Formats: sequence, structure tokens, C-alpha cells
Amino acid sequence: MNLSTRVYGLLLLAYPPEFRREFGGQMQQVFRDSYRAEARGGSLLSFWLRTFVDLVLTASKERADRSGREGVFMNRRSDLVALLGCVGIIVIALLLLGYLKRNDFFSIYWVGYILDALVSTGVVGNFIVLLLWMTTRLNPFRAALWTLATVHAVLLGVIFIISRSAPGSTDWGGVVLGYLVSFLIWVGLHFAWQSRKFTRIDTDQNKSV
Amino acid sequence: MTKEKPEAWLPLTPAMFHILLALADKERHGYEIMREVDERTEGKMRVGPGTLYGSIKRMLNDGLIEELDERPDPELDDERRRYYRLSDLGRRVAIAEAERLDKLVKSARSKKLLSARGT
Repeated sequence: MNLSTRVYGLLLLAYPPEFRREFGGQMQQVFRDSYRAEARGGSLLSFWLRTFVDLVLTASKERADRSGREGVFMNRRSDLVALLGCVGIIVIALLLLGYLKRNDFFSIYWVGYILDALVSTGVVGNFIVLLLWMTTRLNPFRAALWTLATVHAVLLGVIFIISRSAPGSTDWGGVVLGYLVSFLIWVGLHFAWQSRKFTRIDTDQNKSV
Repeated sequence: MTKEKPEAWLPLTPAMFHILLALADKERHGYEIMREVDERTEGKMRVGPGTLYGSIKRMLNDGLIEELDERPDPELDDERRRYYRLSDLGRRVAIAEAERLDKLVKSARSKKLLSARGT
């Protein structure tokens, strides 16, 4: 079994256990056959992209079918808006960061540090949060809170270790403030999204009663 | 609502209809279904493993397809593969969906969206 098939086997954890038990082996076999065919003459990157999109969409559908109610992934439009919003924030922050660096405005009002932290923790943290939502039944807000706290702390630690090799080159005030503000922004957005989502679900359920 | 009447299942999702079409002429395993859909649509419709087995699960539950107890050609094939075939209900549903689409195409033709030869 090649590495790609093993990775796909791990990604199958996104599906509910009963679905995985019933079809996981078959899916892995179909993936392996398709991968071999694609490796002979197609683009493996587009193959992986297609497979990943297929996995995200169908795993959320299977989980929603299992729960039989408006759950974490049932409200797909809301999830898609949140996902696109998250990507949008990261892209805008990245563009702004590029502009500030090009024009030597990076350290002005510590905006550059905040954007820097927002991008790096946003990409890593939200990806892990997404995987956790897909593969576990943890409380969505708590999972996001602890993941983001850990990611912020770890990245801050990495900067600390790297900066020891070049003492005096890091503006610690800016870096710490950037990470603090970034943490508050991401956690605030997750809190606002979850509150809105579950308020809507409650309202919908009351209406149906 | 009873679902014994084929019309009760319509419209089918594109993936379900393509899978039923793939099974219309012979029983196939999952990868064969994927390849048949890919070849028939010249790569325009690609069914991923999640879509394929999600649809198969629903169609098995609804009795539109059946899993074979024996593989058609045990000599030539991997014994872990599972083969599927259309049930009688599945065939009637596929026919009903094809007729529905045929009516749609006829309507499009009558509105001059398609030429008489269907090009």
C-alpha cells in the first residue's frame, strides 16, 4: 500500500464509524486504483484536490445524515460562509501585510505584527479546527478555543527559539501584542459564529414545534 | 408517501442517475462504475469515492441496487471487491428518470434551444 493510499485511509476517519466500517475498505481500494490510473498520465495535484473536496462534502453529509438533525455540518451554507470568511480574512491580511512590508510600514502601530500573527495562526489553527470538527464530536467552540490557544503559544515559542540566534532583532512588544490580538480576533469570530449558528438552530426548532 | 412508484424517486441526483446507468447493462464493482461514468461522459462527470459510496449506501437502503453474493468472474478479480447490480425497482426508476429527461430535452427542442437533430 503506497503512502497516498495510507494518507487517504487516515482521512477516512472524517466519516462516521459505521459508514467507514461498511465502505471504508472499498473506498480505499477505489482510491488506490484511481491513483494508479492518474499517476500513469494525469495530474496528481488535481486528483488530490478533487478527492479532498469530495471527502469534505460527503463526510459532512454522512455525519449530518447520522445525527439526523441540524448539527455542526448540517447547516452547510453557514459552514461554507464561515470557511470562505476565514479564507477571506487570511487573504486580506496577507495582502495588507505585503503592502506594509513593501512600503516600510510594517511596525507602524504594530499593525504588521498583528497581521503577521493573524495569517500564520489563522492558516494553521483553523485547519486543525476544521479537521477536529470533521473527525470528532468535540464541542465546536471549545475545540476552537483550545486549538487556537495552543497554536498561538507554539508559534510564539518557535519565534522565541528562532530569535535567540539573533538577539535584539525581535520587537517582543509587537510580537506578543500581535499574537494576543490575533488570538482574541480568531476566538471572537469562532464564538460569534457558533452563537449565531446555535441561536438560529434553536429558533428553527421552536418554529417547527 | 409510498415509494413503490418509480416517479416518487424523481428527480434523481446526477451521481445516482449515472450510477444506475452504469449498472444498466451489467453488474460492476465500485471502480468499474467510476470508470464507466468517466468514459461515458468523456471526463465531464467524475464521481469521487465519497460520492460513489454515499450514493451506493442510499441506493442499497432504498432497494434500487443490490449487492451480488458472488463475484461474476472470481478467476480474474480481486476477491475483496463488491459487485452491484440494478434491482427491478432501480431499473424502473432509471427508466422513469430517463423519460423525464427526454421530456425536458423535447421541451428545450420545442423552444428552439436545441436543433431537431439534437446538436
